[in-house]
Amino acid sequence: MNLFKKKDAVAPTEDAAGETEQKKQKKEKKPVTLDIFDFSGENAITIKDVDLFYGEFQALKKINMKMPKYQITAMIGPSGCGKSTLIKTLNRMNDLVEGCRVVGKIEIGGVDIYQKGIDLSALRKNVGMVFQKPNPFPMSVYDNIAYGPRTFGIRKKGELDEIVERSLKQAAMWDELKDRLNKSALGLSGGQQQRLCIARALAVGPQILLMDEPTSALDPISTGKIEELCEELKNDVTIVMVTHNMQQAARISDKTAFFLLGEMIEMGDTEQVFSEPKHPETERYITGRFG
Amino acid sequence: MTKVSSTKAKDTSAKILFIVCACLSIFAVFGIICYILAASIPAFREVGFFQFLFGTRWNHINDTYGILAMLCSTLVVTVLAVILGGIIGIFTAIFMVFWCPDKLHIRYRGKNKSMQNFVAWMNSWLRKINLRTIFDQIIKLLAGIPSVIYGYFGIIVLVQGGLVQMDPMHRGFGVLATCIVLSIMIIPTITSLTKNALEAVPAQYFEGALAMGNTKAQAVFRVVFPAARSGIISALILGIGRAMGETMAVQMVSGGSVNFPVGIFTPICPLTVKINAEMGEVVPGSLHESALMATGFVLLILVLLITLSVNFVPKEFKGKKGTKVLQGDEAGKVVYRKRGLIPEILKYFGMICAAVVVIALAAVILFICINGIPNISWNFLFGGDSYDGHSLAPAFLTTFYIIIFTLLIALPLGIGAAIFLNEYAKPGSKFVKVIRTFIDTLSGVPSIVFGLFGYLFFVQIFGSNVFAGSFTMVLVILPTIIRSTEEALRAVPMELREASYGLGASKIRTIFKVVLPSAFPGIATAIVLSVGRIVSESAALIYTSGMIAVASSSVSSALDPTNMGSTLTVFMYSFFAEGLAFDEAYGTAFVLLVITFVLNLIVYFIQKRVKKKR
Repeated sequence: MNLFKKKDAVAPTEDAAGETEQKKQKKEKKPVTLDIFDFSGENAITIKDVDLFYGEFQALKKINMKMPKYQITAMIGPSGCGKSTLIKTLNRMNDLVEGCRVVGKIEIGGVDIYQKGIDLSALRKNVGMVFQKPNPFPMSVYDNIAYGPRTFGIRKKGELDEIVERSLKQAAMWDELKDRLNKSALGLSGGQQQRLCIARALAVGPQILLMDEPTSALDPISTGKIEELCEELKNDVTIVMVTHNMQQAARISDKTAFFLLGEMIEMGDTEQVFSEPKHPETERYITGRFG
Repeated sequence: MTKVSSTKAKDTSAKILFIVCACLSIFAVFGIICYILAASIPAFREVGFFQFLFGTRWNHINDTYGILAMLCSTLVVTVLAVILGGIIGIFTAIFMVFWCPDKLHIRYRGKNKSMQNFVAWMNSWLRKINLRTIFDQIIKLLAGIPSVIYGYFGIIVLVQGGLVQMDPMHRGFGVLATCIVLSIMIIPTITSLTKNALEAVPAQYFEGALAMGNTKAQAVFRVVFPAARSGIISALILGIGRAMGETMAVQMVSGGSVNFPVGIFTPICPLTVKINAEMGEVVPGSLHESALMATGFVLLILVLLITLSVNFVPKEFKGKKGTKVLQGDEAGKVVYRKRGLIPEILKYFGMICAAVVVIALAAVILFICINGIPNISWNFLFGGDSYDGHSLAPAFLTTFYIIIFTLLIALPLGIGAAIFLNEYAKPGSKFVKVIRTFIDTLSGVPSIVFGLFGYLFFVQIFGSNVFAGSFTMVLVILPTIIRSTEEALRAVPMELREASYGLGASKIRTIFKVVLPSAFPGIATAIVLSVGRIVSESAALIYTSGMIAVASSSVSSALDPTNMGSTLTVFMYSFFAEGLAFDEAYGTAFVLLVITFVLNLIVYFIQKRVKKKR
């Protein structure tokens, strides 16, 4: 069904052969490689002692986290606790914020993403992002999905068609959309738009998908569809999700991290965090919301 | 009981008054079209409509009138100017929005102590200026400079300074010079409208593209720019309208002889230039006059069609027709590569364009300052009749009169129309749409056509004097006033009105006591912009308030507004037209530049204060 599984399933001997072939290609065309990450380790993301400042204000304090591969990690906490800030540091979208400064180390696929000279394009190709508000481009459905691959130099119609079809199938919307690929993406419903954005992110072949409250602008049925989709997707990608909705975290995530005032209070298996939280604050937050 | 009904009557009568104000632009547009058409009917009848349009000869001595060559000149020059000015303008806007740094900072690594101190001192100053704001102001200043000044710049710097050497015939006038001057003149319009369109694109598009691994340049040129497409097309269309209707600057650099635009140095005579060149010597009621009116009519219709076509630019992407059938299953491993060279190149092109704009402005300003400042003296500016003729005092007086009279008439009308549109009319109703379309149409009418209308209508009533000029200018500035007032009214929060209604105040009282006072800064901006427009206008005034020979201008005559009078720009143009007094022309240009600069500064400070308050 998907590309990523195939990648993993490739036998080592073929892999080696492929490598030599790739090396030949490198010598011929000298393409700038985008695969600078090595995701063979257990954890996709490792965060070590990260502090983050907006000017003078410290938004994150000494964060330490490990996010395991092919799992859904949910980040919960009250508004302004820093969870959205943290997710944006993972693909360096925080660079757009003026006066934002990160101290500490964030390793993705074994590479420190805040080291000097890191290729942001490569980083963001491998760490996709889905935003709170669906943001399809004002183009057709097809062009939305083909947009990413096109900017990474894929021009052949056949290849693009294949990517579009595969991404839409991955996002479980191929059957809905296959007859309206040339219609404007802005004409879709909010839920469809959000899943289209997920498909669009998948089209460049990310290893990690960041989701910043992906369902907060959607109705319950669309929310359910996206949750289902996440469960499917975690076979292929590592998902990190910020959510305001605690039931959502409890329903779909494998790990849950609780944030308060810029600090990570607790992180553990979702079941454990929700049934027997170690910290009284976590318990208060969870029960307060439920009660 | 009686009191309540009397308030109600007041409200209703006020509403009717506002509706009339709003409908004024409809009457104005129809009036202009009808009057000019009526005046051109003799020409169409005598010459024949098609003969007039497709005839290639124009000679008023033996009454031969055909405008094809001039029509072609107008079209060719406009298209070339819009291509050149459009590209530069659009890329400048892209640079301004996405790459122009807010602050500059000088780095110095040397060990020289005094140099270090100097750099630190420079940086402390640089920290205080916002580069983007300055750039914005530069564009606004370029937009406000009177077209006569651009014409002067074109002749002296462009034609005599460079093109003469390149022209094998050593004239330098013609197609190329006109194009360059026109493109400089439309760059501000296109840049500021493109800038608005780019800024209106939701930031999520940009972020979405970056999050997929796009470089900034890729995101800008492949997502944001296409998303702003409709706004940018509108900007270009308005640029076309402006280029087509431009008169004074084109008159000075086009060469003025009727030819088809076959080479870059062919002297040409666009429609506006023909009208302007011959209106002064026309015999009232003659076929010649009617032929010039007919030329104006053709120009008017052309420009109106183009400005109206803005309404048909599709607002957003609607999807292509039909569906594609995918034929997948093509083998081959997909390889993602890093790309984005072309957007990167375009980014640097944007920087170059921005630099070109800054250099153009710097050149115009320097040219005027260097040549103008030495000619400024007390006598030149304010010397009375005793000073031998070449004094600006009469022109100052006339300009002042026209500003006052025009504002006295236009302000109540414009504010009334804005009140109707924003306070009374149902937003989005058909009636409002019609009125808006007519306001846009009115603002697209070329100023020379306003001049022709004023000549046909107001001059018949008042004679050729300051009043005729003022009434003509009312039509010119009405759209500006309505638009900026409306913007200001829209910014007044609804809660204020509700609070006033809650206290039992009537609608009319609420408008005058609550809404208008809080919209005052916006209205003040409208006034200043209108003053700028009046000061820089020339083509609409020459046939209405008149153009006085330099030698016969005097303060005593200018004091009486029932006499003819030249405003500053018209006066500057007569220095050129009479070909005698270049020094005085430079001096006047400098004065005009200072006025434009000061007006821009006032607008800037008003808007800054409003922003602070919010």
